[in-house]
Amino acid sequence: MKRFLVPFIILFILITSVYAQDAREIMTKSQKAFLYAGEDLKVRVTMRLISSTGKVRLRELTMLRKNIGPAGGKQKYYIYFHAPADVKGMTFMVYKYPERDDDRWLFIPALNMVRRIAARDKASSFVGSDFTYEDVSGRDIDDDLHELLKEDMLNGEKCFVIKSTPRKADVDYAYRVSWISEESFLPLKVEYYDLSGRPYKLFTADEIETVKGFPTVVKRTMKNLQSGHRTEVVFTEVDYNIGLPEALFSERFLRRAPQKWIK
Amino acid sequence: MFIGFSLRYPKTVIVLTLVVTAFLLIQFPKIKIDTDPENMLSEDEPVRVFHREVKKEFGIHEMIVLGIVRDDGIFHSDTLKKISEITRKVMRIKGVIADDVMSLSVTNNVIGSGGLLEVRPPLQRVPETEEELEALKKEVLGNPLFKDRLVSSDGKGAAIYIPVESKDVAHEVAQEIKKIYEPLKGKEKFYMGGLPLAEDTFGAEMFKQMAIVAPLAGGFLMLILLIIFRRIMLVVPSMAVAMLSVLWTMGAMIGLGFTVHIMSSMIPVFLMPIAVCDSVHVLSDFYEKYRGRDREGVLRDVFRELFRPMLYTSLTTAVGFANLAWAKIPPVRVFGLFVALGVMVAWLLSVTFLPAFLRLLSEKRLKGLKKEESRSRVLSAMADLSLTKSKAIVVVGTILLVVAIYGVSTLRVNDNPVKWFKKDHPIRVADTVLNRIIGGTYISYLVFEGKNTGDIKRPEVVEYIDRLQRYLESHHLVGKTTSVADVVKRINYVLHDEDPAYEKVPADSSTIGQYLFLFLMSSKPDELDNLVDYDYKKANLWVQLRSGDNRDMTEVVRAVEEYVRKTPLPEGISIKWSGLPYLNIIWQKLMVKGMLKATIGSYWVVFILLMFLFRSFWWALVAILPLSFSILFSYGLIGFGGKDYDMPIAVCSTLTLGLGIDFAIHFCQRFRSYLSQSGDLKKAMLWVTKGEPSVAIARNAVVVGLGFLPLVLATLTPYVTVGLFFGSLAFFAGITTIFFLPALIETFRGRLLKGGY
Repeated sequence: MKRFLVPFIILFILITSVYAQDAREIMTKSQKAFLYAGEDLKVRVTMRLISSTGKVRLRELTMLRKNIGPAGGKQKYYIYFHAPADVKGMTFMVYKYPERDDDRWLFIPALNMVRRIAARDKASSFVGSDFTYEDVSGRDIDDDLHELLKEDMLNGEKCFVIKSTPRKADVDYAYRVSWISEESFLPLKVEYYDLSGRPYKLFTADEIETVKGFPTVVKRTMKNLQSGHRTEVVFTEVDYNIGLPEALFSERFLRRAPQKWIK
Repeated sequence: MFIGFSLRYPKTVIVLTLVVTAFLLIQFPKIKIDTDPENMLSEDEPVRVFHREVKKEFGIHEMIVLGIVRDDGIFHSDTLKKISEITRKVMRIKGVIADDVMSLSVTNNVIGSGGLLEVRPPLQRVPETEEELEALKKEVLGNPLFKDRLVSSDGKGAAIYIPVESKDVAHEVAQEIKKIYEPLKGKEKFYMGGLPLAEDTFGAEMFKQMAIVAPLAGGFLMLILLIIFRRIMLVVPSMAVAMLSVLWTMGAMIGLGFTVHIMSSMIPVFLMPIAVCDSVHVLSDFYEKYRGRDREGVLRDVFRELFRPMLYTSLTTAVGFANLAWAKIPPVRVFGLFVALGVMVAWLLSVTFLPAFLRLLSEKRLKGLKKEESRSRVLSAMADLSLTKSKAIVVVGTILLVVAIYGVSTLRVNDNPVKWFKKDHPIRVADTVLNRIIGGTYISYLVFEGKNTGDIKRPEVVEYIDRLQRYLESHHLVGKTTSVADVVKRINYVLHDEDPAYEKVPADSSTIGQYLFLFLMSSKPDELDNLVDYDYKKANLWVQLRSGDNRDMTEVVRAVEEYVRKTPLPEGISIKWSGLPYLNIIWQKLMVKGMLKATIGSYWVVFILLMFLFRSFWWALVAILPLSFSILFSYGLIGFGGKDYDMPIAVCSTLTLGLGIDFAIHFCQRFRSYLSQSGDLKKAMLWVTKGEPSVAIARNAVVVGLGFLPLVLATLTPYVTVGLFFGSLAFFAGITTIFFLPALIETFRGRLLKGGY
C-alpha cells in the first residue's frame, strides 16, 4: 500500500505545483496582454457610474499610459478630464510602482494648484468608480497565490479559470476567480468574493476589438453585487505605440495639458 | 329565543361552542405579526411615499447608533482597536448596509499636510504611540465632520452609525451587534439606541408583554370576581365568556388573513372587561333571584329582565367600535371592526353559553347559596343623597364638568417612541447617554431641491445651507447638522493649508464642483450619496435632535419655517422635511387626531342609536351623559397630571365608548322597565339605585377598575397607561352612573317621563 501511496503523493504534489506554475504563468501573460499592451497607449474613456436606482454620473477623460521597462514593471498614467463640465481641465497623474505605493498628483484648475494625493491604498476606488486602482493598473503577480481551477467555455471562448488569493489582507475581498481567454489572454470575467465568501464584485469584458494587433477590451463593466452600484467603461480612439514622450508625465504638463495628446 | 333554546338543550349549546372554539383555535398557527408602528399609516400616505423616495434617493436607511464610552477618554489604543474591530464585524451582519456604516474607522476625512492631500478615515490604522494618538485626537475633535457626530466633543465617547435595510430587522441586528461588543467590554461601556431600534424593540417586547400581561390581567379579573361571587363555578362561566370571545375574535382575525398589528394585539385587553360585564349582570341578578330551586325558571326571569339591556349595551358598543372603520388608519379600521365582532360574540355567548352552563351546574355546587340581598350601605347612602339633593348635585356636577373641560384643554399632544419604554429600560438608558455624547440619535433630513441639474453646486445654495446649519445648531433642540457644505468647507480649508480664513464656502460653482469631484475621486463611488443626489439637483441636510419628542421636532420644523421666511431661499430652491422623527409627527397628527375624530364620530353614532333604542331624545341624552363625564374627567385628569396625549392614550379613547355607555344603559333601561311594570316612580328609583342594578354596576366598576391594575407592572409604558386609564374610566363611569344619573333623572323627570316611559 505504502509503495503505491508515496509515488502517488509525489505525483500529486508535482501535478499541483505544475498547475500552480501554470496558473502564475497564465496570470503573467494575462497581465501583459490586458494592462501592458504596447509601449504606450492613448485612449478616450467614457465612464458611466450607475447607482443601484439607475441614476447616472458621466465622466469623460483621455488616458495616456506609458510602460517604463518590461511588462509587470513601472507605468506612468496621465489623465485629462473633459467632463463633467465644471471639472474640465482637471488633470491627474499616477506613477505606478509594482513594489511600493503609487505616487499620485492632481491639478485643481479653480485654484491653479497641484496637490499630491496620498496613495496608501491601491484597493481604493479609481476616480470614484467601482474600479480600484489595481483593477486599472494591476496587482503584482506575486502578491497573490494563483491556482488553476479548471478550463471552461465562456462566450464561445476557451478559458482558464484561475483563483487568485491575496497573500496579505491588503484588499477588500478574500479572493477572485478569473476567466482568462486561452487565445487572447484577456480576462473575460472576474468574480470577487468577500471575506464571508459571498459574491462581492463582478467584472465583465463586454466587447473586445483588436487595435494595431493588440486585442483590447473596449467595453467593460464592474458591478458591486452588494450595493448594486456599477461602472461601465467604454474605450474609443484607442491607439498604441504612438511615441508618448516620458517628459509628458510631469507637474509642468499637469498644469498645462498637452493639447496634442489629449484632444 | 336564544335563552329558551339554551335552557332546553344546554349540552348541545356547550358542544357547539367548543366546536367553534376548536375551529378558530386551529387558525392561530397562521398568525402574521407586524410590529412596525409606521404601518399604522397606509403605504400610499404621501408622507410615507416621500420618506421612501428620500431614502432611496440619498441611499439613506434607518440608523441604529452604538455608543462607546470610556471615562478617561476613547483615545487609547485598546479602545480604538475595539472600535475598529466592532465596525468591521458589524459591517458583516446580515441586514446591515455595510457601505453606509459610519465610524471613525470607515468614514472619510479630508486632511492635508505638506502639500499632500489625503482622503481617508481618521482611524484607518490604530495608532500606537502617544504622538499618533494625540494627532488623531486633534484631527477629529476640531473637525466639524466628526465632532458631535462620530466622537463626543469631550473625547470620552465615540459612536458608530449602523444603517439597517429596514426597520423591522433592527431588533434582530441589534442582537447581533450585542454579541459583537459584549465580549469586548472592559473600561468601555456600550450603549445602543436609535429610533428604528426603539420602534422595532417595542414591537418585539409588546408581544412578549401581551403574552404575560393579558393572562395576568385575566387572572386578576377572575380573582376579583371570585371575591365578589365567592363561588368558583359561577366565576368560571363568566371568565369563559371573556376568554372565548377573545379566542373567537383573534381566531377569526388570523383566519381571515389579517396581520396582528400593535393595535389589534390590544384586542384581548380591550375585549375582556367588556365581555365580562354582561355576565356580572347576569350573575348578580341570578344571586338575587335564586332560591335553590326551579333553576330554569329563575334563569328565564333573569334573562327576561336583562336580555334587552344586554343587547342594547352590546349593540351600542359594537356600533361605536365598528364606526372606527371610517378612520383613515388601516389598523384602526381592523381593530374597530374586530372589537365590534368580539363584543357581539361576547353577547352571543352571554345569552347562549352562559345560561346553558348555569343550567347544567350541579345543585351541589350551588348549595348554601341563599338569596342574597343585594344591598350596600354605601350605595344606599349615595342613592339617598343623590335623590334628596339632586339639584345641588347637578350643579356641582356641572361645575366639575367645566373644570374637567379645562383639564382637557391643557392636554398636550406629544409622543416619543423611546418613551414607550420605562425609564430604567436599556433603550431609555442608552438613549439618554447617546444623546449626551453625540449630537442626537434622532436623525431627520431637510431636503433642498433645485430645478436644474447642478443647482446644488451654486455657491449661494451651499452658502445658504451653511448659514441655516449655523442657525439650527444654535437652537437648543438641535445637536448636530451635517451637509455637503461641511465637505466643501473642509476641502477648502485643507487645500489652503488649514488656514481658518478659508473655512468657508468658495465663491464660484466650478470650485465647488472641483472640490466635490476631488473628494469623490478619492473615495467610494457612493460616499457622498447621503448628502447630495447624483446630478446635484438635491442636497440633504442631516439634522440630529437630542430629543425624540414629536413636540420638539415640531418646534424645529417651525424654527426652520421662520428662518426661511426671514431669509428667503435661493431662487429655484425648495425644501422638504423627511426622516423618522418627521414621519412621526405627521404620523401623530394623522393617528392621534384621526383617532380622536373617529371616537367623536362613534360618540354621535352611539347617541343616535340610543335615541332609537329608547325612542326618546332626552333619555338618550341622559344615558350618554355618564359617558361624556367619564371621558372628560379621565382626559381632564391626564391634562392636569401633565401627561402627554400620546398614541396609547389615543388608542384608549376608543375604549371609553365600550365601557362608559354600558353602565348608563343598564341603569336607564332597567329603571324604565321596572317603572313600566310597577308604575311607581319612587319605588322604581329606589330599586334601581339601591338594589341589584346598582350593585351590579358597582361590581362591574370594581372588576374593570381593579382587574387591569396588573398592567401597571408592565415594562412598557403604554400598558401602564392603559391599566390606569381603565381604572379611572371605570371609576368615573361607575360614580356618575350611580350617583349623578339618579340626580339627573330626578331633576329632569318632568321632561323624561312626559311621553310615558
